[in-house]
Amino acid sequence: MTKQHTISFTINGHKLQKTIPASMLLLDFIRDELNLKGTKPGCGEGECGACTVLVDGQPVNSCLFLAVNIDGKDVTTVEGLFQQEMLDPVQNALVEYGGIQCGFCTPGMVMTIKAFHNECLSRNIIPDKEQIKKALEGNLCRCTGYTKIVKAVEALFIR
Amino acid sequence: MLEQLKVIGHPTPKLDGKIRACGKAVYGHDIVLPNMLYGAILRSKYPAAEIVSIDTSKAKQLPGVVCVITASDVDVNNISYKRDHPILKKGEVNCIRDEIAAVAAVSNEIAHKALNLIKVDYKVKPGIFDPFEALKDQAPQINKFFAGKSKKNITHEFHYEHGNLQEQKDRSACIVSRRYIMPRVTHCCLGTCAITADYSRIDTRLTLYSVTQVPFLYQRDMAHALKMEPSHIRIIQPVIGGGFGSKLDMYPYEPICALLSMKTGQPVQIVFDREEEFLASPTRQPMVMDVTTGADKNGRFTFREVKIIKDNGAYTSWGATTPFVMMQTFSSLYQVPACLFDSYAVYTNNVYAGSFRGYGNPQATFALERNIDALADEMGMDRAEIRLLNANYQGETTGQGLVYRSCGHKQALETVIEKSGYSKKYSVIQQGRYRRGIGLSSMLHVGGGAKIYRSDGCGTTVKFDAYGYLTIITGSTEIGQGSETVLAMIAAEELGIDINKIRVINSDTDVKPWDVGVHASRTSFVAGNSLLGAINELKKKISPQAAQMLNTDVEDLDYLNGQISSRKSGASVKIDKVIREIHFNAPNELCLANYYYEPGSEFQDKNYMGNVSGAYAFAAQAVEVEVDTYTGNVKVLDVYVAQDVGKVLNPLGLSGQIEGGVVMGMGYALTEELIIENGLILNPNFHNYKLPTAGDIPNIHFFPIETIDSAGPYGAKGVGEAPLIPTPAAIANAVNNAIGVEMNSLPITPEKVLKALKNKIND
Amino acid sequence: MNFNIISPKTQEELLRALRYNQDKNFRFGAGYTDLILELKKQPANDLTVINLAQLQDNRFTSITIIDGGLSIGALTTANSIVRSSLIREKYPVLGQAALQHGSRQVRQTATVGGNLCTASPAGDMACALVALQAQCEILSAEGNVRIIPIDIFFTGVRKTDLKKNEILRSIILPADYANGNIYSHFIKVGLRRSMECSIVSLAYHIIADSANKVIKCAAAIGSAAPTIKFCKEACEYLKGKTLNNISPEEAKKFAALIVEYASPISDIRASAWYRKQVLFNISQGIFDNFNSKV
Repeated sequence: MTKQHTISFTINGHKLQKTIPASMLLLDFIRDELNLKGTKPGCGEGECGACTVLVDGQPVNSCLFLAVNIDGKDVTTVEGLFQQEMLDPVQNALVEYGGIQCGFCTPGMVMTIKAFHNECLSRNIIPDKEQIKKALEGNLCRCTGYTKIVKAVEALFIR
Repeated sequence: MLEQLKVIGHPTPKLDGKIRACGKAVYGHDIVLPNMLYGAILRSKYPAAEIVSIDTSKAKQLPGVVCVITASDVDVNNISYKRDHPILKKGEVNCIRDEIAAVAAVSNEIAHKALNLIKVDYKVKPGIFDPFEALKDQAPQINKFFAGKSKKNITHEFHYEHGNLQEQKDRSACIVSRRYIMPRVTHCCLGTCAITADYSRIDTRLTLYSVTQVPFLYQRDMAHALKMEPSHIRIIQPVIGGGFGSKLDMYPYEPICALLSMKTGQPVQIVFDREEEFLASPTRQPMVMDVTTGADKNGRFTFREVKIIKDNGAYTSWGATTPFVMMQTFSSLYQVPACLFDSYAVYTNNVYAGSFRGYGNPQATFALERNIDALADEMGMDRAEIRLLNANYQGETTGQGLVYRSCGHKQALETVIEKSGYSKKYSVIQQGRYRRGIGLSSMLHVGGGAKIYRSDGCGTTVKFDAYGYLTIITGSTEIGQGSETVLAMIAAEELGIDINKIRVINSDTDVKPWDVGVHASRTSFVAGNSLLGAINELKKKISPQAAQMLNTDVEDLDYLNGQISSRKSGASVKIDKVIREIHFNAPNELCLANYYYEPGSEFQDKNYMGNVSGAYAFAAQAVEVEVDTYTGNVKVLDVYVAQDVGKVLNPLGLSGQIEGGVVMGMGYALTEELIIENGLILNPNFHNYKLPTAGDIPNIHFFPIETIDSAGPYGAKGVGEAPLIPTPAAIANAVNNAIGVEMNSLPITPEKVLKALKNKIND
Repeated sequence: MNFNIISPKTQEELLRALRYNQDKNFRFGAGYTDLILELKKQPANDLTVINLAQLQDNRFTSITIIDGGLSIGALTTANSIVRSSLIREKYPVLGQAALQHGSRQVRQTATVGGNLCTASPAGDMACALVALQAQCEILSAEGNVRIIPIDIFFTGVRKTDLKKNEILRSIILPADYANGNIYSHFIKVGLRRSMECSIVSLAYHIIADSANKVIKCAAAIGSAAPTIKFCKEACEYLKGKTLNNISPEEAKKFAALIVEYASPISDIRASAWYRKQVLFNISQGIFDNFNSKV
């Protein structure tokens, strides 16, 4: 049997403490322990990005991240972007530009775009199409063919 | 009327897009029921073997395991339309997917641990992995439930012909023959297979939270499998994480989950991880196609002769019926006086194929369009010209009996030829490392459903509440393609109400009326027409009341901006007020109406002749590629798509379907292949099964063509499958233009390209 | 997956954990992008993971200038390497290799040390580091340090020279690779533009004088042999030649010398023939457009 570890962290702005087994993956922790079902299991091999969450504002594949390593850190999931009845601009842009079809890849896509948007803003960069596509390379989508998702991201920088 | 549309034709975001963007949509994976157990399936270690013994005792003893079942524990019927597919395998296994046992436990981890404790004694058999081997006389019978009459390993064969083949062969000035080898690819829905079964012992009712695309057919299939009454089965469809045809059939894991729930009396959930998804989810039908086509001295097509051998795998699913669609392409895409088509689905010990967006049409179109280029080249004719010369036309009835009431074939071809600058780009002489090329392809697909089941219809109930909010209860299913949004748009247009006051409900067979399911690109056409019919019925109640309140006739009324108004007097009344009048005053009626729409298509006769769909969609694509002659990589630069959609209902949803389809077609053409060797899948993961990423996408230029079909809602025809059908052919034709080599098997990998270049230099 | 975990915060705690676990079954976990996949495929019994993700020690986690060269801590993430202006200026091939590793999410946690210790011949950053003739700084549980050239760090497919009581602390890039006209590029061959495990790769780092005459040449190939190969003879061949004056025959000869070091396998991704052929083509091709700093 594995030892249990206690971690203290912030999840979507709320401080929390939990005791978990060492080998628990962040994805399972988020979905099963915290009951936040927005983050999706896509492949378990870090290829599809459906499980993307932010740790200290940086995007990671939660299927390849140990839950114990969020100790002392800030975790943001897709549920954390919806503030006071208002969608985040990233979410709004995806809806407006038609970048959502079945929606399974969407939460992961939203988090990757959110981190990318923040990073570009902090470095005063307006990305071109190629840079946007590069930023999305770790998020697979089978429905949209990516074109409208790229358009949605472009729109974020025009406003 | 069409010119004044306020909602239809305007880009409209997905009705529940915000819910999905916030991660609040509930998919099969997200369902949690009280007392729920987790199921896991033990699959065969070998693709062909006798099962000597199964020992589940250790698994049963593992703490947390509630139930373990094998074939001897259940009394069920075989599944599949051929009834050749046992749910749990007994005595032998015939492919690597085979389900031998299933476990229900208190956690996923324990369920999978229990699988490792089940001891199976196998006696390995040699196995047959090549359909040509399976056709040989000395080959053993692979599927013992096989009910066919002819050769022992052919599960389904198709024969079609029209015209006088020999006569047309004799008139042909040019004949080309080619063999095309089409691989296995798979749907790769981001949402893997997921089912939750909840059997209540108290009222013997089974509730299934299932990702099926065909809930009513599924209900019937499940009832037959479990030897239950269909009406005791309720299907609830959570939000689906992608379909693309993968959820058109019922697969063993589904009745297995139901059985676990029935045995334990508790809800049981089975969710595939990605590896199991690759292993157990059906593929596109792989096939070897021998295609011979001819043209007369003027370039008019004379005949097509087609023989297809399909690797059916160990059990039969919808892949075996792809010839229904393929023969339409061979018989009716471009004008052609004679056609002979033979297709054989052959049992092997490989994995079986199901239905996948396009349903055989991408394969057929690939072969046909490649042959057309070959014909043109041999005759010294321009590749664009030969297509235009033979294009289908409005009013045509084809050799198979397809009636083209509306037809945008020539217009689609002309559009992409012009917009892509085809004529200039085609003849550029290439030098250097990177060589560019441009290729053409067109397609035909059913656009108004397909009469393959007893009914191709859809039922709709519409209901207005006292506040002017409309609920559409539709039999049709939303798989992400945007059908709910289109339905809401239609209602908003017809009733003049805000789209935010419309709800679409379609996820419960206990509630919604019958619909055959989402396939054959039928939903906009059939569900749309069904909704229009229901709205008409609804207006028959509302209009007289409003006319009375406005002191005018029903013909004088306009439904606009939440009001009903008289054109003559300009007076208006709020629609919700009218509804309240109907309900709370005489005649005290609910503002509710039903309608069932059956498309005006026919059943094909036993020779497959007949007008099988309510409408047909045409499209053409021109694709520009760049080939890296150092590495063999093919980069798709630009794709020009002209799609005859009848009428554009939701431009945003439509272009989304086009873009998604083109990229899917590109993956099929260039990077995707499920690699099987001796019955084993070698790349059951995203690491080695290469889906296109955002970095791989081309520029897509989309030109919708509105031919306004008289049967479609506002003139619209279906489009869900069409966008990927011409893409692989156009890419292969473009590669041929770029480097002068014929690529007749998919995927067109860099290695194949380099090898072809090398052989060309050596010749 | 089932394992115990210990998360040292300092080098002292790390070495203590290392000493304590010498007779047990343990693995190092840093970015976890490889380890978790491995453990899922082959679950281990009684395993302890020494979790390096919480280690705070500059020698392990930072990029610092030393003696004119560069020290890159083994726990430096691929993303940090991509973001480093020092690396972008002086050793572009490494930055490019890091940029082509996985996705943004993978690069956030994947470490350069992890890439080296996994020792796959397909490792992107590893290939660039072999080209740059890096040195590996290895720390023992007793606190002793040894430095070995990266050439002998890799001993076989997924095998390194690390002993059970050792850990890779940093990678040292030589100073003399950082001055002059630098032509430094990482070429990765794959089926699609992203998320590829290279079918074959070429890392080169050429230093020329102001007349574009080659002073120093370094080249390494990946996914072409059991370990990444530094192509010494090809590099020697190029010395003294002027880059904008390389004739087609010389380019071919250079490419042929590169391919001499290749002994690839055939697998589901590609055949040995293809790997050799492409390697030849792209090696020959690096002289095609020689006019600007790459």
